[in-house]
Amino acid sequence: MDNKTIETISYLARLQLGDDKKEKITKDLENIINFVDELQNIDTDDIAPLANPLEKIAPKREDSVTSKSRKEAFLLNSPESDQNYFIVPKVVE
Amino acid sequence: MSWETVIGLEVHAQLSTNTKLFSSASTQFGSEPNTQVDLVDLGLPGVLPVVNKDAFKKAIRFGLAIKADINQESTFDRKNYFYPDLPKGYQITQMTKPIVEGGLIDIDVDGDKKTINITRAHLEEDAGKSIHDAYPDKSVIDLNRAGTPLLEIVSEPEISSAKEAVAYMKALHQLVIFLDVCDGDMSQGSLRCDANVSIRKVGDSELGTRTEIKNINSFKFIEKAINFEIKRQIKVLESGEKVTQETRLYDSGKDETRPMRSKEFANDYRYFPDPDLLPVVISNDEMEEIRSTFPELPADKSKRYISEFQIDKSEAEIISSSRELSNFFEVAVESTNDPKLAANLLVGEIGSLLNKDNIKIDESKLSSNNFNILLQRISDGTISKKIAKTILAEIWETGRNADEIINDQGLVQIQDETLLEEVIIKVIESNSKQVEDYKNGKDKLFGFFVGQVMKETQGKANPQAVNDLLKKALNS
Repeated sequence: MDNKTIETISYLARLQLGDDKKEKITKDLENIINFVDELQNIDTDDIAPLANPLEKIAPKREDSVTSKSRKEAFLLNSPESDQNYFIVPKVVE
Repeated sequence: MSWETVIGLEVHAQLSTNTKLFSSASTQFGSEPNTQVDLVDLGLPGVLPVVNKDAFKKAIRFGLAIKADINQESTFDRKNYFYPDLPKGYQITQMTKPIVEGGLIDIDVDGDKKTINITRAHLEEDAGKSIHDAYPDKSVIDLNRAGTPLLEIVSEPEISSAKEAVAYMKALHQLVIFLDVCDGDMSQGSLRCDANVSIRKVGDSELGTRTEIKNINSFKFIEKAINFEIKRQIKVLESGEKVTQETRLYDSGKDETRPMRSKEFANDYRYFPDPDLLPVVISNDEMEEIRSTFPELPADKSKRYISEFQIDKSEAEIISSSRELSNFFEVAVESTNDPKLAANLLVGEIGSLLNKDNIKIDESKLSSNNFNILLQRISDGTISKKIAKTILAEIWETGRNADEIINDQGLVQIQDETLLEEVIIKVIESNSKQVEDYKNGKDKLFGFFVGQVMKETQGKANPQAVNDLLKKALNS
């Protein structure tokens, strides 16, 4: 776990880490990776991947509109809005 | 040096469901911004997505149509990235176990047939819409579209020209509309395509570096964007440089593609199984239900029309390509004894009226019943085919009953031989010069006499009777 990897991961998660936090997280991540390394040693060749630990299947919903507009409430709770829109810092492609 | 082009297309089809993939908010296009947003679409803490049954039905329907494998158990994954039109910070998609795998699409480029293999078609959610030009330093977001079900259809890199890409897109467009899987409205973004384009020297087995052109939403732009990109890549390679793997946007105003975003980091989506969603299992009963309502596909319909009704191949193809037109035709052939005439009128006269008004036949004023009356009157000799066109034009405007129009306007065909003979004698007497020329071997003038008789009778003379009687009169 070098510094560069930590920086990449925290950037992808949009986290800004101070130096003391960085040190602690590096240690935590190393522990996790070591644990996964250990798991890698188990032979899973004949075992199907598990998508979800609950051995259940997803319920399905009928395709009918039951949700009502809560636009006012949503916009009220957003940091910035204008008329019907959410306003966010400029994102340019 | 000669180059060959390798293209793979990723087509996003918005499924025509009433509600979103994971929430029961409406998917209606064009509503007031942010009025079709559910707690789930906003990704608020504590909410759980629940899958839409019909989105799966439609995806499976598409899979059956392209002869693909249907994964009766499929799963959802998270594709992580931050963008404000995706409030959760990830898009739910099917990475590891998509609903549809394999399959094929037949395309036709100016008569050359080719089959394009499909890699997969998976369900995922659409993002919201961002508008960047409303404020100088802010972007505005409408989340109505966020969560709309998409079927992403991924082709193998087997397309070798811009023309083939357009033919492929057209074939998909026709199919999804026919299956009622997607409304196919490209101007509203219901069907849009990303093109992966690369070139290599003819004979090379390795693929060249590809670029991806994002979000092309018209047939014309697909062709132009790909052709621009092919030329650009050839220029880069011939100048000794390398093609950079990147995402590009097509600017239709300038007719060029340009890099979309320069990234400090390569995309790293960190896919993982979505813990909020259990595997979706389609039971055998559900599969059976979908199969039992599966429509006859255009290609099969077309073949059947040709063998069952002996209609022309080109007419059979046009009629079978549209659900509305083929339904109309199938109702008509139940009661007419002249399916060829029905096909002929549907493709010819009615086809041009439909094109002119840019509507579908079930939106016109022509009812199946009225069409049958019209066919019947042509078959029994009451009216000629020529008069039928006049009547059709009137029905198109007013929707009036064909028999009423025939009676009111006195359009009944003249069969009466004595009446027709009178007209013929008149025509012969007033065109003695032409009669002489005709008798001296100018056979072509026969059409002129037919025309004159038709003119005299306002097109109401029975053409066969006119032919017979004219021949007799001119040769006597």
